[in-house]
Amino acid sequence: MLKRLLLIRGAELIALMLLAIIPLAVNNSYALGLLTLLAIYGILLIGLDVTVGYLGQVNLAHAAFLGLGAYAAGLSVSLLGFGMLSALATSLVAGLIFGGLLAFPALRLEGPQFALATLSFSALSTTVLNEWEVLTGGAQGLQVSRPIFFGHTVNAQGFYWLCLILLALVWMAMRNLLSSQWGRAFEALRDSPIATDAMGVGTYRHKVAGFALGSALGGLAGGLYAFNFQYLQPQSFVYELMVILLLGVVLGGRKSLWGAFFGASLIALLPNLLSNRLLFEVISALGLLVALAAGVRGLMKKTTRPFQAIAPIIAMGLLVVGGMLVANTEDWRKAIFALMLFSVVVGLPDGLMGFAARFLTRLFRIDPPALPPPALLDAVLPARHTDGKPLLDLQDLKRYFGGVKAVDGISMTISSGQVHGLIGPNGSGKSTAVNVISGLYAPTAGEMLLQGKPLPKGSLFKVARFGIARTFQNLQLFGELSALDNVMVAMKGVYRSTLPLVLLGFARGEEKRAQAEALALLELVGLKRQARVRARDLTYGAQRFLEIARALARKPELLILDEPAAGLAHPDVSNLLEIIRRIHQRGITIILIEHHMDVVSELCDVVTVLDGGKVIAKGTPDEVKRDPKVIEAYLGTAAGSAA
Amino acid sequence: MDSIIIAQMAVSGALMGLVYALIAYGFQLTYSTSKSINFGQGELVMLSAFFSLTLLNWGVPYWLMVPGGLLFGVLLGLVVERAGVRLALEQKSEGWILLTIIIGLLGFSAAENIWGRDDRPFPTPISSDALQVFGVSITPLEISVALGVFTVMGLIELFKRKTLLGKAFEAVSADRDAAELMGISATRTIMLSYGLSGLVAAMAGILISPITTVGPTMASALILKAFSVAVVAGLDSGFGVVVIGIFLGALESLTSYYLGSGWREAPGLILLILALAVRPNGVFGKASIRKV
Repeated sequence: MLKRLLLIRGAELIALMLLAIIPLAVNNSYALGLLTLLAIYGILLIGLDVTVGYLGQVNLAHAAFLGLGAYAAGLSVSLLGFGMLSALATSLVAGLIFGGLLAFPALRLEGPQFALATLSFSALSTTVLNEWEVLTGGAQGLQVSRPIFFGHTVNAQGFYWLCLILLALVWMAMRNLLSSQWGRAFEALRDSPIATDAMGVGTYRHKVAGFALGSALGGLAGGLYAFNFQYLQPQSFVYELMVILLLGVVLGGRKSLWGAFFGASLIALLPNLLSNRLLFEVISALGLLVALAAGVRGLMKKTTRPFQAIAPIIAMGLLVVGGMLVANTEDWRKAIFALMLFSVVVGLPDGLMGFAARFLTRLFRIDPPALPPPALLDAVLPARHTDGKPLLDLQDLKRYFGGVKAVDGISMTISSGQVHGLIGPNGSGKSTAVNVISGLYAPTAGEMLLQGKPLPKGSLFKVARFGIARTFQNLQLFGELSALDNVMVAMKGVYRSTLPLVLLGFARGEEKRAQAEALALLELVGLKRQARVRARDLTYGAQRFLEIARALARKPELLILDEPAAGLAHPDVSNLLEIIRRIHQRGITIILIEHHMDVVSELCDVVTVLDGGKVIAKGTPDEVKRDPKVIEAYLGTAAGSAA
Repeated sequence: MDSIIIAQMAVSGALMGLVYALIAYGFQLTYSTSKSINFGQGELVMLSAFFSLTLLNWGVPYWLMVPGGLLFGVLLGLVVERAGVRLALEQKSEGWILLTIIIGLLGFSAAENIWGRDDRPFPTPISSDALQVFGVSITPLEISVALGVFTVMGLIELFKRKTLLGKAFEAVSADRDAAELMGISATRTIMLSYGLSGLVAAMAGILISPITTVGPTMASALILKAFSVAVVAGLDSGFGVVVIGIFLGALESLTSYYLGSGWREAPGLILLILALAVRPNGVFGKASIRKV
């Protein structure tokens, strides 16, 4: 534990000290310019990594935020006479506001549509910077003077240290944020937006917040950029820069501060790399060797697909051969970026840092941080007193899809403390009914009351906050997160720190508490030993149990289990029975949708049978099994079977 | 007088808009089979136009150049599918967004260096002497653009409905898994859709180049408008792209007349962001139901 802290924090501290003393040792204005650019790009890429790495979206607007921040800072000095710090604050706020504005329309969008929205925003902002000549000077460009800093003029060296200090502050704040509930929520909504809402975390607010925050860092980097170059042109912030920034993030390694730093070093050095012929040839040859080595190794071990091994070799080969043929490598700049980025995206999706981190943890035998002992289950899920009064009341609930009456007037009451079975043949409306209750669909008509209060309609998030938790028939786990994080992200009643406190690193206490409570729930479903395993690497049965543990982290009044036994092997089914019994003992009311009649008979106090979107029977499992209407629904009519 | 200028602007804009619609139709072709689009489609238009120009310069007659240029477009489409899309689709990731952008950038850089950065005229045997229709002048060249767009879209729609291969295409669009179970190869159908999409891009390049000239920058100018048309119309409505294409072309031409040519891109971009915010499935698109 101590070793981990020493090595990781030590490496950060040494890097920072080295960067800070280089200008004292080397008196070279060119090197100083490069270092300053490195610090600025570092902040920029950390911001871009929030959207690209954590939110998992292709963000094509980051170069535009850099530009908007730069112009905001420059104009705040020339028009309003701001000093250094207030001008930088202006650029930060400009990024935050524009990012928020773009995130609002983009909030419902996924993948390609999000990329399109950011691309249009980027083109639009270039148009405005170019055409609003009165303010921005248009294509002529804008002269910016470096403002005073607390009454002093800042020379190049002082400005570099300012950039470096800001980079260090951003680094620490983002480390605190991304290792907190916020970082988990970002990754959760990337893996499953539906489950993020259903766990009461709120896809929308986290997506907007994450994007706005990343853009704010882009804006801040823009302010520094303006005072570094002291001359701005709209053409500097176009598509080509965007591709270079993406190259930085992807090559450095997503979801990693060090990755962003390495990416920044690379793109700060790129112009030199291209202008020096020998350097270019050495680097491209090295690239080809790495691609060859990695490709052959991947093919031998069968860890990569043939395309993943061969395509980077071809791309790097093109780079080497092309480098010999063309007269001037600078003219082919874009093609060179393209080939490098292509090889990295296809062949090294984790980036350099993803690879290095795995290697270094093995080399230094760094253990993951120790986990606290699990909390007492009584503290996490206190046994509830159940009185058998109605908990959930459905009145004439309907949901139509066009002409299909999936749920056609269901009325039923779920009493507190019971395990209430919901069965029926395929297509009888069970899943639609729970999807309406849990808020995935709004009902076409009808009322839903939880403890007498009307349940929010058509919002997974609001229903989850109302005290109903659910699992999904088709698993909706956060695949890239560990089992522990899957439960922690849903944990209710632990995270109270406000965003500023989280950024300052004051949320560690509640983090420990969330870990302890999550471990108790993992213990309940028998997954404590697999706490560190990524959800998508768990066995199928374990994934089903993890969904239950995650739903329990909501500490719900009502738990909806949507076919929890589907696809389970026999031993897992008996484990499942045991888990559900234990949950029931804690006084949590359960709606159980199930096909296995033995599971239903074993567990349920009451069963409601649906067919064709209507309730056809209700009663104890034994009563229902003998009901002629139920037999008819499952097996067809006597006349039908005789024919 | 003023109303005639407006009408003139709207008509020429609308005819240009048909080319945007054609490129947007290329997005629809690949989106329907694979839920992916080529972010470098603008570069395909530009590269095919340059290649066709080279054919003309070699002395190939115009009407022989057209199939040559189209074939080149098909080949480029297939390259994009193989290098940029297939792996990402197999991994069920959205990596194709980045990869198609990268391939587009490679094409852009190649064009800059092979054919130069300047815009070049594109000769055509079709006359550009204006005809007067109700006071609005239209050139046969502009009419040929409209005819070309409708012919290509019509033929592809006919192909999808009347041939066995076309029906396989429709089957994969409707339900990929079910189509695979019926023995239709989804991979080949997606290849076909990228080939057709490349063909459509090449056709757009050949049609628009005599009017706008050919240059590397035509790629980014065209693709943003085509994106706007595709998103505002919806990614599944062939009829929608034509209507929205005409509308946006006219709007853009009027904007550049009244606000200055620097602003001509703005209405399309604003419409795109608005459409994404209000109707993510487009004006003519079908709403999809979230399933779990």
